[in-house]
Amino acid sequence: MRRGPWLWAAALAAYAFLYLPLTIVVIYSFNDSRLNAEWVGFTWHWYHELFHDEDMLIAAGNSLLIALIASLSATLLGTMAGLAMHRYDLKLLNFMVLAPVAMPEILLGVSLLLFFIQVLNLTLGMLSIVLAHITFSIGFVAVIVRAQLTSIDESLFEAARDLGATPWETFRYVTFPLILPAVIAGGLMAFTLSIDDFVVTFFTAGVGVQTLPLRIYSMIKIAVTPEVNAVSTLMMLLTLGMIVLASRIAPDVLKGKV
Amino acid sequence: MFSRKDNIHEKHEISVADPYMNYRLPFRAFRVFRGLMFFAFLVQLNCAHAEDVLHLYNWNNYISDTTIARFEKQCACRVVQDYYSDNEEMLAKLAAGATGYDLIVPTGNAVEALIRQRALRPLDKSLLPNLNNIDQAYLNTVFDPGNRYSVPYAYTLTLIGYNSEKMRELQLPVDSWAVIFEPRYLEKLKGHVTVLDSQRELLAAALKYLGYFANDTDETHWKKARDLIIRAKPYWAAFNASSYIKELTVGNIWLVHGYSNDIFQADLDAQNAQRGFRILAGIPKEGAVLALDSMVLHKSGPRPDLAHRFIDFMLDGHNSSELTNLIGSGNPNLAARRYIQPEIAQSPAVFPDKTQQENLEMLRDLDRHQRRVLSRIWTEIKLR
Amino acid sequence: MNDERKLSRSTRFPRWLVSGPPLLFLLLLVAIPGVIMVFASFRYPGEFGGLAPLAASDPQTLHGFTTETYRFFFSDFIYVEVFIKSFVMALATTLICLVMAYPLALLIARSPKRSRNLMMLLVILPFTSNFLIGIYAWMIILGPQAALNQLINILLGIFGAAPVQLLFSPFAVMITMVYVYLPFMVLPLYTNLEKHDPALLDAAQDLGANAWQRFWRVTFPLSQPGIFAGSALVFIPAIGMFAVPELLGGIGDIMIGNLIKDQFLGTRDWPFGSTLAILLTLAVLLVVWLVAKLSGRGGRYA
Repeated sequence: MRRGPWLWAAALAAYAFLYLPLTIVVIYSFNDSRLNAEWVGFTWHWYHELFHDEDMLIAAGNSLLIALIASLSATLLGTMAGLAMHRYDLKLLNFMVLAPVAMPEILLGVSLLLFFIQVLNLTLGMLSIVLAHITFSIGFVAVIVRAQLTSIDESLFEAARDLGATPWETFRYVTFPLILPAVIAGGLMAFTLSIDDFVVTFFTAGVGVQTLPLRIYSMIKIAVTPEVNAVSTLMMLLTLGMIVLASRIAPDVLKGKV
Repeated sequence: MFSRKDNIHEKHEISVADPYMNYRLPFRAFRVFRGLMFFAFLVQLNCAHAEDVLHLYNWNNYISDTTIARFEKQCACRVVQDYYSDNEEMLAKLAAGATGYDLIVPTGNAVEALIRQRALRPLDKSLLPNLNNIDQAYLNTVFDPGNRYSVPYAYTLTLIGYNSEKMRELQLPVDSWAVIFEPRYLEKLKGHVTVLDSQRELLAAALKYLGYFANDTDETHWKKARDLIIRAKPYWAAFNASSYIKELTVGNIWLVHGYSNDIFQADLDAQNAQRGFRILAGIPKEGAVLALDSMVLHKSGPRPDLAHRFIDFMLDGHNSSELTNLIGSGNPNLAARRYIQPEIAQSPAVFPDKTQQENLEMLRDLDRHQRRVLSRIWTEIKLR
Repeated sequence: MNDERKLSRSTRFPRWLVSGPPLLFLLLLVAIPGVIMVFASFRYPGEFGGLAPLAASDPQTLHGFTTETYRFFFSDFIYVEVFIKSFVMALATTLICLVMAYPLALLIARSPKRSRNLMMLLVILPFTSNFLIGIYAWMIILGPQAALNQLINILLGIFGAAPVQLLFSPFAVMITMVYVYLPFMVLPLYTNLEKHDPALLDAAQDLGANAWQRFWRVTFPLSQPGIFAGSALVFIPAIGMFAVPELLGGIGDIMIGNLIKDQFLGTRDWPFGSTLAILLTLAVLLVVWLVAKLSGRGGRYA
């Protein structure tokens, strides 16, 4: 009713703005030319190159390993932070959890670089990246867990107490099952934040360790080949499949009810 | 009542940060699933080998794959390479604590910096019989007198690269920096010129054009160079690190301030694509920057034995020539010349003659104050 | 607060056990690095990078604390100019995002319930991929060989104007920044607009307001919290951006992010890099505070 033609036109233009660039990336990934300029002919060549690019595969492996360790640690610490934020009025904790998320990423990146080198005298590499990723992931997990806790009826805990449950039993049999979906969602989010991160990784990676985003960055900067198109296309395709799958398994995640 | 009010107040404080997450959450959640695709990659990953490994920290695309393969076969070891695209980047990363490299290939000034930092291992020349192959002109530099730590590997010049057809059409000189800096020439080239996105290189070219040394550190001279650059800047298309190779090849950029090996690469690509023009290199008569890259042993490297073997291997004429044939780099190895393709050997960018050699300068390292001042000048150049 | 106290500690873990580990971790990796950075900004740069020592046996070598980085910053207007420029860029990104996101969010919010999720999904989908891919996409589209640039130049040629270059220009930086941050604007706007009661619009219509008046008098004021939230989400990360100007920018595109990155990874001047980072932090805090103030005032409409 109140969706006039102008509104439609503006919205469609915005959609086109969102999709046109990605469509072009996909199309050129099949183009038989090094230059992303004119259409020459169809080829699988760039995908073939991609799966034989050892540096790229190592980078993908690193990204995965880092994301796994970082997300597991962040889930543990973030869940604790979420519980603490919900239960106790800790201004300091609130601030510490939100600060790394609300600041431009470059600030976290350079301050961690300084800290690792100047104070810890740590050689930059896997460990420094993992620590940095845990740092910015905790906040996201904590906020999701806290949001879930807010929606839980407090009388449940009172009931547990009245029944004589110990703190551990209350947590194990009441709190934990209730917040489990939030914990999982937070963990998955930490995982993707980590695997996706470019800026903080850029400053804390040192030289030896490449991650996928760092690899893509240097490819864009130094030598652009349609291999970048190929890896981007694969990433997008898989996302699409996963989202379709996810909408079947857990519709709530899609609606953002976390 | 009071606590309620407190709560509202507190909400307010974080109202900016809070939505940051709440709204980010739904679409961040989708990224979750993307991660899973990387399992596919993992399957492909090779298991780690337990064998002899040489860690090489080298310029991007600065050694031929065949050369690497031959060395790996000869020493029954594996060569692992990491890359950098800028000396500053390499130094910064080493300063940031990168370790484990047996061999690095820094440019002269970076060699000097590394020596002064005591980051290098002295060479054992008894293990390097092929050192005799190196042209005396490239030994005993100011950066490493007596070559205690470094052995020349290859060099590049920072030159003018140009589209042969366009420059002939426009009748512009290609033997002077004037064509990069003078508006009277640039008018005809507006939007078709790129310069290097490197503080030192661009400043050096401007200083050379003004008749100063590339290593001049007088601030008033720097400011003159800055003004020259700012005056020419509106005519340039971009500051560029390496994508000018492609732009030259497709004929979009006609004139560059660039590295000799990049210009060589652009020429090869243009010929392969049968573009109908060549990409040629011109050595400016005012002089240019010569970047001599040398092999050095980093102290943190666990395998100096393999590193020495590698250095001697690379000093062999045939092995050394492969790099020049591949990327058109300048070659300090006298024994290599007979293996180098005649057309490449004729290029002044690969083997400059004696008079040209005299005008070539190697850049020295700057101290911290000079670095800071240069950084400010660079900011001014970018912003004005 | 009262509820918390009421529940006896017997059902709870001790406070330190739950809050201790995350708090310690964050103090160590957020607070301490922040403090270190403040200290670093008052140091001298090391000769080869890093920081000069605090104490030196040879009094000739630079050591100890100094305010020279701050004096250096204010000794020349150039750095303030970079801040202003970054501020303007981030603000422009925010405003363009707002103009583009608003109709989209409004349309989605006014669509039938069952299609809303799909429409939001279509907004989110392009951003499930890394922002570097978005940058790369625009490098292709705006490239001089690409159809768009050639078409524009043909049109310009007809009108006798000189050809233009799209890539490596402020225009390229702007459009890509908007592309990267657009969803950050759509999401909070949609969340806000979705909650609006259509009855309000009906009432306005009954009172004789035309479509234009209904929007400016009813919808827009009500959506202010969403606008402020979205603006903060776009502005804050945008002001620290360095990858977009670096990869797509032309001869004059430099932001604070590039400057900071350069001090740490190029010029080896950590103290000055720290100074820039601290001043950026202060600038961001100022903006956050301002937005909080403004949105607080805008709250009376709600």
